[in-house]
Amino acid sequence: MKNVLGREIPERLAERKLRLFEGAFATTPSGRKADRPQKVVKLGENKVLSSIEQAIEKTGLSDGMTISFHHSFRQGDRLVNRVIDTCARMGIKDLRIFPTALFPVHEPLIRHIENGVITRIEGSMNGPVGAFVSQGGKLKDPAVLRSHGGRWRAVEAGDVKIDVAFIGAPQADPYGNANGINGKTPCGPISFSAVDAMYAERTVVVTNDLAPYPVYPFEIQQGWTDYVVVVDEIGDPDSIASGTLKITRSPTRLRIARLAADAVVASGYLKDGFNFQGGAGGISLAATKFVGEEMAKGGVVAGFAMGGGTKLIVDMLHQGTVRTILDGQAFDLAAIASLRDDPNHVLMDPGHYANYDSRGCSTYMLDAAFLGATEVDLDFNVNVNTHSDGLLLHGIGGHQDVASGSKMTVITIPTLRGRLPVIVDRVTTVTTPGEVVDVIVTERGLAVNPKRKDLAERFQGAGLPVRTLEEIKQEAGGFTQPPRKPIFGDEVIALVEWRDGTIIDTVRRVVGWE
Amino acid sequence: MSEAQVIGSDAKRDCQVIVTPAPSLEIEIKASNQQLLEPGIRAVVKKTAGALGVSKAKIAIVDRGALDYVISGRVEAALRLTFPELTSAVSRSIPRQASERNRIRRSRLYAPGNNPRLLIGLELHGADCILVDLEDSVPLSEKQATRILVKYLLIAVEFPEVWVRINPFDTYGRDDLAEILRGRPHGICLPKAESSADITSLSKEIEELESSYGIANGTTYIMPIIETAKGVLHAEEICTADERVIVVSFGAEDFTRDVGAKRTVESLLFARSMIVTAAKSAGIQASDTVYSNLDDEKGLIAETKQARNLGFDGKGVINPRQIEPIHVVFSPSEQEVKEAQQIVAAAEEAEEHGLGAIAIEGKMIDKPVLARAQQTLELAALVNKGGS
Repeated sequence: MKNVLGREIPERLAERKLRLFEGAFATTPSGRKADRPQKVVKLGENKVLSSIEQAIEKTGLSDGMTISFHHSFRQGDRLVNRVIDTCARMGIKDLRIFPTALFPVHEPLIRHIENGVITRIEGSMNGPVGAFVSQGGKLKDPAVLRSHGGRWRAVEAGDVKIDVAFIGAPQADPYGNANGINGKTPCGPISFSAVDAMYAERTVVVTNDLAPYPVYPFEIQQGWTDYVVVVDEIGDPDSIASGTLKITRSPTRLRIARLAADAVVASGYLKDGFNFQGGAGGISLAATKFVGEEMAKGGVVAGFAMGGGTKLIVDMLHQGTVRTILDGQAFDLAAIASLRDDPNHVLMDPGHYANYDSRGCSTYMLDAAFLGATEVDLDFNVNVNTHSDGLLLHGIGGHQDVASGSKMTVITIPTLRGRLPVIVDRVTTVTTPGEVVDVIVTERGLAVNPKRKDLAERFQGAGLPVRTLEEIKQEAGGFTQPPRKPIFGDEVIALVEWRDGTIIDTVRRVVGWE
Repeated sequence: MSEAQVIGSDAKRDCQVIVTPAPSLEIEIKASNQQLLEPGIRAVVKKTAGALGVSKAKIAIVDRGALDYVISGRVEAALRLTFPELTSAVSRSIPRQASERNRIRRSRLYAPGNNPRLLIGLELHGADCILVDLEDSVPLSEKQATRILVKYLLIAVEFPEVWVRINPFDTYGRDDLAEILRGRPHGICLPKAESSADITSLSKEIEELESSYGIANGTTYIMPIIETAKGVLHAEEICTADERVIVVSFGAEDFTRDVGAKRTVESLLFARSMIVTAAKSAGIQASDTVYSNLDDEKGLIAETKQARNLGFDGKGVINPRQIEPIHVVFSPSEQEVKEAQQIVAAAEEAEEHGLGAIAIEGKMIDKPVLARAQQTLELAALVNKGGS
């Protein structure tokens, strides 16, 4: 079957009947949300356990079950590998893991995929695990990729039933209240796991800093938590959050950022109460900085900023250029400190900002957003998951959620990465459909979605170099011989869900080269 | 194999090439995305070797994301190193878009010719002129490879205006010129110009090469850089030595070293005034020295204002982020635009009425003033178009 973007989607896969993507806002959910078993923890009962083994025994974790994690420790994560190693040692196999995201630090999981401890993965894969899975034949079922909001929705809707949620918490109290902004090794918000904590059969908070009751803010709440495990280490502080993210110094990338900022200025959206999504990538960070400078110059005060807290945005908050920061993730130490200290820097979970099946998303309040891509195509479709060689190397993050919400979605890309063209005829994988992408900014000019004639006119009026994607693609293509293309077989390696749970694309196994 | 035989560096966007004699053409490629990129790189290597008529060599290449022109440049340099009898046969076939003698030249962006990463996208940053360097930024051991690389850059890329700074004529300048003119740059920048003879011998050499490469005679401009005490004293003869000289620039670093001065406003004042005066008397443009402290935007703006006040038309730029501040300083103010509009309007009216003399409120306007006014309006139009 083909979906509305012409992508071939199987009717059923792994006993799941697949729903086809029909458009960004095409579906309407019905029925009721999922549930979890009733349970009571009575007066005086103790939730504190001393080891992961004990938690595994107590929760009844066994073969074939689904366990979940968050990714807020990023490259510094010590929990996922440890839990899976422990499961392996205890002889548990056939696990489905449901992380919000995996990073290169999780490369040791490959061994556990090979030995059958892990047989299914539903979650973003950044790096080696993704590359390994792309080779096919290793997992029982294809991987499933979801956006931040899409993952939250899938749990609430009962699409994914979590048996045991393991939630790494930089600080927790003995009763199971926990957060990520305090403690010995803070990592920023851990609210990605709130939905796991609420809907899992059993919820285990794992902390290296057990503090007296009550620990607050309650990102994870006592009423959701079955057990609290105290360990000596959950993450490596040097790799959890960077000191300060560096703004790119590459002239090409700075030019892209400058054009993106100029586009925001020319768009007409940049006025008091302007809401925007910054970013932590090199180009987005620079674009955010330039927009901040324009706001300061023009005396414009933003309503809210979101997109992962960074020192840059925190400085804007403290200088008064931004009224509020809504944060689901914090990328550096300044952002974590500000979440602790500044009441206008607000913790936010993905259900609040991105869940399609809900009564409202913060992303729908955005005026402008800067996002990246590994590829874009002439229909403005965006790929963030695979590279041109077909390998699955990145998660979706909030890309779909932000792009579909923002009034002006700006994709910032260089036209070439090394010798590889970034603008292609047809993206290897569609992550985000062209219908929710407004502007693509490159160092060779910017292209405006034909649906947004209004923006094109404003940009032209401001003297910005507006061109067609085709023109930009041609010009950049003149500098390198076209790369060879992978040939894909029938075997589906991964499903890419749109944020409403329909299938926007599949990732197939590479079987050869054109 | 000795180290010296490797052409290129292990930096991003570059590639390394080693050529050894072999019974037939063998090409060995290593690239980060081998599967995707190998056939394309092979095609470029083959084409480059073919153009030189090489069929008996082993060409080994390690790619780190080099564009086609970089690969060609590196491969040709490696081939010519191993087979010194080879001569270049590749030239730019398309004439370069002509550039007006007295077009606006507020910024000239320097780039070292031997660093592919810094050459990519040079044309995109809005600089009025690009200046690719073969001289100070290129070590002796890379002179030959760099001029070949820059030739391929010039063949592949369109620039609003592109110049190449060659080495002085008594060192590598002649070889630079012979290679580089095949890429048809708009002009040649001659460092350490000290006399009219320096210019005329360069001009003569250019003329011969123009003829043999099929380039229209006299279309390659010359930009002398005055950066010695002798050069400053001979500014007038340098500026008037040849029709090709359309702009002269000042190099403060070498100048202060030459005269034993510290770089201050005062120590540069005489040289700068001398150069501007000589240039204006010859009817050409003058461009000020570079400001090398990249992180000091205030200092850049202050020095650029001094230059503009002295009569300079532009300034050297060592990083794209210096372009915008410089363009802002060289952009005419509202008052200046208004006055220029009045002058041009008066001139048009005078012409309509067949009057020889132009006057505003009884004050006579002479030709240089009119030319200046026209240029101010041109600049203003460029700035309004988003050309800053």
